[in-house]
Amino acid sequence: MKWEVWSGWLLWAALMTAILLSLGWGARPQILGLFLASGLAAGSLYALGGIGIVLLYRTTGVLNLSCGAAGAAGAMTTWQLLEWGWYPPATWIIGVLLSLGVTLFYGIVIAPLLAWRDTVVKAVATLGYALIILGLVAFIWIDEPRKLSLPTDSMAIKLMGMRFTVTRLIVIGASVGAVTAIWAYLRYTNMGLQMRALANDRDHSALLGIPIRRVETVAWTISGAFAGFTGIMFADLIRLEVVVITFMVIPSIAAAICGRLENLAVVLVAGISMGVIENLLTLSPTLKGVRPIAPFVIAVIVLFWLQRGKRLTFAERA
Amino acid sequence: MLEIKDVTVKFGGVTALNAVSASFTQTVAGIIGPNGAGKTTLMNVLSGFVTPVAGAVNRDGQDILTIRPHRRAHWGLRRSFQREEIADDLTTFENVMVQLDHGRAGGGDLRGEVEQALAFVGMSDRAHVHGAELNTFQRRLTDVAKCMVGQPQIVMFDEPAGGLSLDESKHLGGLIRKMGAETGAQVLVIDHDVDLIREICIETLVLDFGERIAFGPTAEVLDDPKVKAAYLGIEEVEA
Amino acid sequence: MRGIYHITPSGWAGLAFAAFCFVVLPEISGRLWLSVFTSTGCFVVAIAGVAFVYARLGMVSLTQVGLMGIGGWVTLRLGYYWDLPFEVNVLIAGLVCMVFGCLLALPALRMRGLYLALVTLMAAGGLDIIFVTFQFPNGGEGFWGVAMTGGQQIAGPVLAAGPEGYLRLVVGVALLSFLLIEAHCRTKPGRAWAMIRRSEASAIAVGVNVALYKTWAFAIAGLLGGIAGGLLAGSIGILDAATFRATESIMLFVLAVVGGSRYWLGVVIAATLYKILPALLNNWGVSADLSFVIFGAGLLHAVITAPDGIAKQIYDGVAGSVTKKKQEATRA
Repeated sequence: MKWEVWSGWLLWAALMTAILLSLGWGARPQILGLFLASGLAAGSLYALGGIGIVLLYRTTGVLNLSCGAAGAAGAMTTWQLLEWGWYPPATWIIGVLLSLGVTLFYGIVIAPLLAWRDTVVKAVATLGYALIILGLVAFIWIDEPRKLSLPTDSMAIKLMGMRFTVTRLIVIGASVGAVTAIWAYLRYTNMGLQMRALANDRDHSALLGIPIRRVETVAWTISGAFAGFTGIMFADLIRLEVVVITFMVIPSIAAAICGRLENLAVVLVAGISMGVIENLLTLSPTLKGVRPIAPFVIAVIVLFWLQRGKRLTFAERA
Repeated sequence: MLEIKDVTVKFGGVTALNAVSASFTQTVAGIIGPNGAGKTTLMNVLSGFVTPVAGAVNRDGQDILTIRPHRRAHWGLRRSFQREEIADDLTTFENVMVQLDHGRAGGGDLRGEVEQALAFVGMSDRAHVHGAELNTFQRRLTDVAKCMVGQPQIVMFDEPAGGLSLDESKHLGGLIRKMGAETGAQVLVIDHDVDLIREICIETLVLDFGERIAFGPTAEVLDDPKVKAAYLGIEEVEA
Repeated sequence: MRGIYHITPSGWAGLAFAAFCFVVLPEISGRLWLSVFTSTGCFVVAIAGVAFVYARLGMVSLTQVGLMGIGGWVTLRLGYYWDLPFEVNVLIAGLVCMVFGCLLALPALRMRGLYLALVTLMAAGGLDIIFVTFQFPNGGEGFWGVAMTGGQQIAGPVLAAGPEGYLRLVVGVALLSFLLIEAHCRTKPGRAWAMIRRSEASAIAVGVNVALYKTWAFAIAGLLGGIAGGLLAGSIGILDAATFRATESIMLFVLAVVGGSRYWLGVVIAATLYKILPALLNNWGVSADLSFVIFGAGLLHAVITAPDGIAKQIYDGVAGSVTKKKQEATRA
């Protein structure tokens, strides 16, 4: 068991080094640093999205495909309020709260109606919710070039020859911090204990008298806040476009898959690796155009790796 | 004759079956034991859903554990599940037919064979009713029909009487015994219902905590004080 | 015994509808409507694929429009390279997509159903990017065949001339697609799928090679997606990456559920909603984005309360009025 874990990480380190060397070979260090920095930030966003998805999935059994759309709603709101000249920190908070509210609405009103359905059906239903949000947001803010910037964009520090804007540092820090915080929360708090129990076995948890609805509400709240934060950061760092932010859920899913939809640390590492590889592919003349596919290719390879030696028997308990 | 030799199964650190052996010589045999004794695990080993760390299962010189799971059905393994697995959107006829679909390459009168099996269990008049419209008893009967087509070698019933009334359970027991005689297959029945086992099984294997605690003619086994302590005692408490 | 060739009432209605679309529809439609109906027909073929995989196996495919894109690409590519008849190109495109369909099922074959849905979602996202990057051949040089200004169009079908004939061709293909699916469902594969849907363990217990039959279902969905894409390419002449976004794949699946994935009528309803509702909204001066909201709400409604979709509700309505009439007749 232990050896498997170690060999997994060793394999990852070896592969990562090989990819970094082969892609970065011969490139000017500054350029390399530039892509590495932006890759770390983009990857952290994938990881953040993935962490929110996994946390919610483990506690409630709902794989929420609408978190990208909720993030887009939050980001657009923040942009709009900034346009109207609101006090910036207030706009950020309102943006996150909006995503949170949108997500929580689903969790409280719609998700219970599907509580006993198949996992796939639950996931599909969130797709419908994503379309509703996407349609409304696209209806309110018609598609045109927009930009969202945070004051932290113009602050920067140099680290090992790489220039990091503070926004990027915040995102990277947030992803690492989120994993640590969630880990500590699950381990040391009562609510965390109940969440773990729920993730383990819903029926038994109910029998044990764990307040399922309350625990689930907490999970929806946390994942909603994640969606909002990720959406706004994505809008700042990558692009403020409703459809693009909505579909940021796909690379997040890719990161989540690498962690088997359960291991947050692996989701974090996978997300960041994907971002880095994707950005470094810019250096490859042949693969430059299709570099956004990198996360999916990685996730598919990981899937093959995960199912090696596995035999198709009983469908596992979802 | 079916020979189970030193079958051991481990789930992580838990030993679910510990070197269980038994040579079944009678057509219809029972496997009993309290919850968690490893009965269903043993069936899953035979089905290929669980891979044992050690052991072999021989029927007429063929080690069935070396056959790929879905091919075991082609070879002649039949099984019914605790929850009757009858597809809702297939008719009774189709639910039996599906067992022959993937059998040995063989032509022959497949439809006739299905009709015969349905007649045997008394479901001919419901052959074209969809699975969704059948009640539990009818689903069980369909299960029996399914298990007897295509020259079965081993037939396993996992709690066949679950959810049935006393009369229905009696009727089903009779069918299972008759079917064993008719097909010549080795029939294994798992059940909590000791009365059913006593009535239809000539020999019985008793498991407790993954170990074999008794094996032999049913009447003798059920009188064994060890068995009474492990199994019947619990049964009384439950009742 | 209900024979393999038995025709259900719904089947009669479907055949009648197909006959109407084949004989009457091309005669009464103007130029604009002909093209609308033709592309609706192409999407009927594609949606038939997704709907069948969902209805029969409970498997979710979110890549169907992506597969259509591949089918369209192959058809255009072959059309510009060689002088094979258009029909042959479309068929080859279908076969290529069949292989893609199988590949799609592969990574998640031994995992929970949810993973399969997620893999297809990633595939849709990936194909989206590939189409935007490489575009569709329009007569240019090289493998990708993209020129700044499009050249002449690929050769049209041999079997059909003019837009009326093309619509007939599409209707014919759609009918064949439904018959192909129905034939599968009434024979050995259909029974195997029904067992898999019940539970994989029970399918193995009756000797079904679960991996094979799951892959086979995806292959059929791929075939239909590819043919649909090829037909779409032939009807428009040029393809645009915007037609094959990941959103569209999701929408196709969503509409298959809303329409009723078990029935031909559901598939036709889905394709009609997909092609016509956004156009109607545009006509009324409302943003077509609102169709997303309507489709999304439709999906939630279908998933929560009407798992068999609009088609089932229509069937029940018709069946209800028929029995009512019969009752009245016997009373009179």
